[in-house]
Amino acid sequence: MSKSRAVVLTWLALLALASGLALTTPVSTDLTLFIPAHDARSALLLEQLRSGPATRLILIGLEGGTERQRAASSQILAERLRANGHFLQIANGSEILDAAAQRRLDDYRYLLSPDITPERFTASGLRSALQQRLRELASPLSPLVKRLLPADPTGEFLAMLQLWQSDRQPAKRQGVWFSPDGQRALLLVETRASGFDLAAQSQALAVIRQHFADARQGLVTLRLSGAGVLGTLSQSVIRSETQWLSALASFLVMALLWLVYRSPRIVLLSALPLLSAIAAGVASVGLLFGSLYGITLAFGVTLLGVAVDYPIHCFSHWRPPQALEQTLQDIWPTLRMGVLTTALGYLAMITTDFPGLAQLGVFAISGLLAAAAVTRWVLPVLVPPSVAPPHWAVIQADSPWLPLLHPPRFVALTLGMTGLTLAVMLLLSAPPLWEDDLAALSPIPSPLVKLDRDLRTELGAPEAGHVIVITAVNAETALQISESLAGRLAEPVAHGILQGFDMAARYLPSQRTQRERQMALPARAQLAAQLQEALQGLPFKPGLFEPFLDAVTQARTASLVRPEDLTGTPLALRVSSLLFAQAGEWRALIPLSGVQDSVALARTFDGLAGVHYFDLKAETNRLIGAFRDEALLRMAWGGALLSLVLGLSLRSPRRLLLVLLPVALAIISDVAVLWLLGKRLSLFHLVSLLLVIGLSIDYSLFFSRPEQDLQRRAQTLFALLVCSGSTLVVFGMLAFSTLPVLQAIGQTVAIGILLGFLMAWALAQQMATPPDPASERH
Amino acid sequence: MTRLLAMLLVVLCPVATAADWDLQQLMASLAKVPSVEARFEERKELAVLAEPLLLHGTLTYRAPHYLKKQTLQPYPETYEVDGDWLTIVTPEQRRNLYLPGHFEVGALVESIRATLAGDLATLKRYYQVRLQGSPSAWTLRLEPKESALRDYVSAIEMSGQQDRVLRMETLEASGDRSVVTITPLDE
Repeated sequence: MSKSRAVVLTWLALLALASGLALTTPVSTDLTLFIPAHDARSALLLEQLRSGPATRLILIGLEGGTERQRAASSQILAERLRANGHFLQIANGSEILDAAAQRRLDDYRYLLSPDITPERFTASGLRSALQQRLRELASPLSPLVKRLLPADPTGEFLAMLQLWQSDRQPAKRQGVWFSPDGQRALLLVETRASGFDLAAQSQALAVIRQHFADARQGLVTLRLSGAGVLGTLSQSVIRSETQWLSALASFLVMALLWLVYRSPRIVLLSALPLLSAIAAGVASVGLLFGSLYGITLAFGVTLLGVAVDYPIHCFSHWRPPQALEQTLQDIWPTLRMGVLTTALGYLAMITTDFPGLAQLGVFAISGLLAAAAVTRWVLPVLVPPSVAPPHWAVIQADSPWLPLLHPPRFVALTLGMTGLTLAVMLLLSAPPLWEDDLAALSPIPSPLVKLDRDLRTELGAPEAGHVIVITAVNAETALQISESLAGRLAEPVAHGILQGFDMAARYLPSQRTQRERQMALPARAQLAAQLQEALQGLPFKPGLFEPFLDAVTQARTASLVRPEDLTGTPLALRVSSLLFAQAGEWRALIPLSGVQDSVALARTFDGLAGVHYFDLKAETNRLIGAFRDEALLRMAWGGALLSLVLGLSLRSPRRLLLVLLPVALAIISDVAVLWLLGKRLSLFHLVSLLLVIGLSIDYSLFFSRPEQDLQRRAQTLFALLVCSGSTLVVFGMLAFSTLPVLQAIGQTVAIGILLGFLMAWALAQQMATPPDPASERH
Repeated sequence: MTRLLAMLLVVLCPVATAADWDLQQLMASLAKVPSVEARFEERKELAVLAEPLLLHGTLTYRAPHYLKKQTLQPYPETYEVDGDWLTIVTPEQRRNLYLPGHFEVGALVESIRATLAGDLATLKRYYQVRLQGSPSAWTLRLEPKESALRDYVSAIEMSGQQDRVLRMETLEASGDRSVVTITPLDE
């Protein structure tokens, strides 16, 4: 009695410790789990995925109401958001340079304008500019253009503004951006936080919604999109669907267990091994890695589905008046072998370079061991002898179920041959099995994907798709590389391979370029003489252009514009999001839009040092493909290790074959069935197959136990029916989920379990069924 | 007090409606004109120029949304408005401008187009509208409502006889001004 109390106390203490550790382990939603350590290019890519400017954009559409109401809502919303600190920039077409910023930028015009060349200030260059101005004075729009004339007759300020305007800005109505059909007012918001910082994103979205509630006019409604919007949405969709599906599945499993055991106590106690396993898994990963990837947790809990079976084995084999402890001693060798071989199968994952895979291995192994230990030592102490399973759970010698204990040989042959045929078919046709496009697994409903595409087109916002990253020792070098790159990009733009690009150098030229422009400006006397010559015969008032002479003279000796000089102007935010220091280096980002031919485009940058071109989608998919290949390799090693240990402990080649053959056939048939259903396999399928392997091994081990009388074999069949039944209930539910990820897991496991059970029942039992004296010896 | 106010209203209202009615009348008669073909002469007095700038060319209007101002001398240039789009054609280039996106440009365009079309609602969107004179010699004074335009233009005065617009004077905030004289070509 004191021994059992000690067991319970130890378990409770360990559980408390593990839960404490588990609760303090931070869960990260990071993508680094897909990236092997020490891969510099991939790290750079990842940085882009995580914090690239395109991921920070929130696209806003205001629909409904009248055009005036949409425009007014847009104005008020933009003003309120600008007053809020959450955002780097808010654009809705109404931004006007305030007078101070305009004056500052105007002062920089001879350094920043793209058109400054020596030719521009010769007599003939000036004359053609002046004639152009004269023509503008004659136009009906002259009131709007002539104010700048005396100080800026060459039109540099407007040239500058034109350069800075996005090439594809939306058209304006009532002073703000609208979609071409006028049905939607458009805003573009850039958050400070990365699009993958979902907590910060959902906070930013809440701020937008809250301000919209105040800004809303009439029946105008708010539509939002962008990386962060879709990210938080898919997170909440997944969370809510997972919650109700798992609640329903738990209820159904509990109902099933209650039907079988007729004891609420047993039903509740059956959950203990799984709960302990999850606590142990999270705690071990937390101890070893410091944090846990959200996806490891999801995959890990899936893999721990095996642990649900342990208490079922235990209770189903229990036959009072035998003590539960006695039952456990009977089945323990088989159960232990199942646990150890499955755990060994995951061992190979731990040593990989991919942190996600290593975490998954640690999680699954520690969880399985914990579940097995709780089943073996804690359950018998907690279950009083009075809670006996009902009599009918024990199959009698005259039971109608009896024929099931003798699966006819032709059934075994048929199933085996079917499995082999499918295997050969798969091998021969070698179909493309893998789904490398992550988007195929996105839970975002297609109307929202369309909304995102529409808003992006209407706003001319960059997609997160293509970006060039320049790394350099300082800002000046990064800007110089950007400028030479801008020259090279002109050609693909002219050929239509590329629609457009943005870069910091567009707003802030390198010091070198600014100095060249300064050199192009003539001295005052020379400029005055050339201007005099240019003015011959033109009707401008004498002395009108004194301010021009002053401005040019001043610009010749002005200090060059540095990034910090732009502070307070709208350019500052643009430049700082495209050019910044990171990890002791400088990065210049060049987001590309409308890339038609990434291969041809990549050739443009041949031989430029420090320039990396990323097709983010292709690269992500490549990384995930590499991750999957690594996982497959580790699974193969795990399988080999598992077979070796199984062979050593079973010490019977025949039994080893009878254990492994059903598992192999089940896995192959599972893949084949999925393929026939038109599914492509992803990581999620792969993890599900791992679970199928773990469960099928247990089935085969139990079915192939030698030295069993009829009664025990009946109990085993009963236990395995309950095991596979409960697994089928849970994963069958997931198979009908609308979420592609859950559907993938559900289908793979449900089909695999069905096949695994059938194969094990038909093939592995062949060991026990024929009265073969040779194998009856231990 | 309220009675006094009511009396005041009774006294004032007929005056207000009479003036309004005249404007409505003018607009209604302008709205009936299906098209206008005219020559124009323009004189611009600008502070930046030593002498006035003189231009001439043709005007074409088709109710209610089409207007073309073609300058022949001294710089050939065509401004063509159709619906929401302004097209500017010079010998060197052709530019399209979407009017709803350019408030000030739209306001300048509507001062003449909406007047020709008798479209009071559009005029009132941009301007305070005041009518002076009689049907045989009327002047429509347009004062910009928005400060964005008032910074450039203090008033535009359209004058004419009956349903014909004959003169357009633009008074700029800077003191510059331009006068366009319109001579309809009668078929």
